[in-house]
Amino acid sequence: MAVALSRCLCRVLTRQAAPSSFLLGGHHHAVQSPWFAPAMTLKTSAPLRAEPKKKKKVDPRREQVIRDRLKKKLKKLEKVPPELIPIEDLIIPTKCLDETRERSAPRLPFEESEGRALLLKEWSRYKQEQHMAEVQAVELALDAQREALEELKLESEELYQAALKPDPLLFPFTHKGPTYTPPKTDYEAPDGKYNDITKVYTQ
Amino acid sequence: MQQKKMSASCGRMASRGLVRFVSRVSSSGLRPLSSTSVCRATLQNKHVTDKATSPWTLMAAVCLQRLPVISSDLSPIEQQFKHMLSQMELEKSMLSDHELRLLEDKERMSRKQANDYDSDDEDGRGDQDIVLTQDLEDSWEQKFKSFQPAPRVRADVDENLTSPERCLADSLLLLVEQQVGGQKMWLLPQTQWQEGETLRQTAERALSSLSGAGFKATFLGNAPCGVYKYKLPKAIRTESSVGTKVFFFKAILSDSSRPAAPTSPFLWVTKGELQRYLKPAYMAKVDRFIPQV
Repeated sequence: MAVALSRCLCRVLTRQAAPSSFLLGGHHHAVQSPWFAPAMTLKTSAPLRAEPKKKKKVDPRREQVIRDRLKKKLKKLEKVPPELIPIEDLIIPTKCLDETRERSAPRLPFEESEGRALLLKEWSRYKQEQHMAEVQAVELALDAQREALEELKLESEELYQAALKPDPLLFPFTHKGPTYTPPKTDYEAPDGKYNDITKVYTQ
Repeated sequence: MQQKKMSASCGRMASRGLVRFVSRVSSSGLRPLSSTSVCRATLQNKHVTDKATSPWTLMAAVCLQRLPVISSDLSPIEQQFKHMLSQMELEKSMLSDHELRLLEDKERMSRKQANDYDSDDEDGRGDQDIVLTQDLEDSWEQKFKSFQPAPRVRADVDENLTSPERCLADSLLLLVEQQVGGQKMWLLPQTQWQEGETLRQTAERALSSLSGAGFKATFLGNAPCGVYKYKLPKAIRTESSVGTKVFFFKAILSDSSRPAAPTSPFLWVTKGELQRYLKPAYMAKVDRFIPQV
């Protein structure tokens, strides 16, 4: 069994060894058995001699490719969307959800609730009248202006054109609105100290 | 002619275009060089004839308003509604920190008054015993009372018609007494329009000359807000002057510093008092663009 195997092996190896020696072209078959092949025959075989050493190019290229892939993966991981700045007005503070703060709702008598409903209706009527009066006043003023411009046009064209031009110095226009009490002429407001504790968020 | 020669020397397409243009110009009957001067001459003639034929004298007036300084008093329904609204809001609200403290203090007081009171049972906040919430409230009340605001209504100032600080809740209008056609009457300050200025400049001039140099006003735009035209009585009417057109310009008083020496008598009136001073036809026209408040 072992002999048969060894014989097969010898045949295979000699078959392999034969083409290499054939390529060499007239090298003496120095040794028949592959176990005693000298190092020289291996080194000087054509395929080994003709090709350049691959290790110097493929490895750096391969390494760079690996590095690029890792970098891409890192970038993808780092692409975290910026944290949204919380809108403090929309966050209900926990103080408001405290149950101990609830007022005992008083039960209103029927007259009270009726009175409230009627007052609301009266108020809406009053406000509507106010609004209609305002709208009418605005329309009247616009009408008066239109009439004035028509008269001016009849008078002279250049004055009319001058009147139509917008005034660049008018805006920005500011005016202090009415307060409850008129301002005091000789009042010195006391200096106020305050600590600004507003939170500043950066994305 | 020169252009036609030039066109002949150019290419066919260019010459065709130029010929068309030149023919159009020549068909109008004028040579290109002198057409502009002719047009200018015609415009000038038109302008002169316009001015000559317009029989209306132009005047510009200023409607100077002092806007309200304080909020007006509430009407009865407004007071009722305000009261009801505050009640409803109180019912729907939650207890504030201050109210909670008040409740706690009350509880603590009731516990203290109880016979079997042990101060060691109190947890934390020993210093709250010294300063009761009620005391805090009292001290705040005191501080509020120590501040005296300016009075809203002052009867003596309200009666002084020349002061711009009267009737702080309403908007005031400036009236000046002027001589118009031999008659002295109260009206909004006006002057005649002069050549070379816009009507708004005329109105500005009217304000500065007639009512003293103290009023600082912001004019609201270049366009007039109203017009009042009247024809002169038939006796005085001529070909060149049929009547007057008065254009009103709105302005808002920005600074109420007193004028040094008013050149003519002036008044600050509310809309309700206008009727007493203005002529009815004039009032009807002016009323339209003066707002209620």
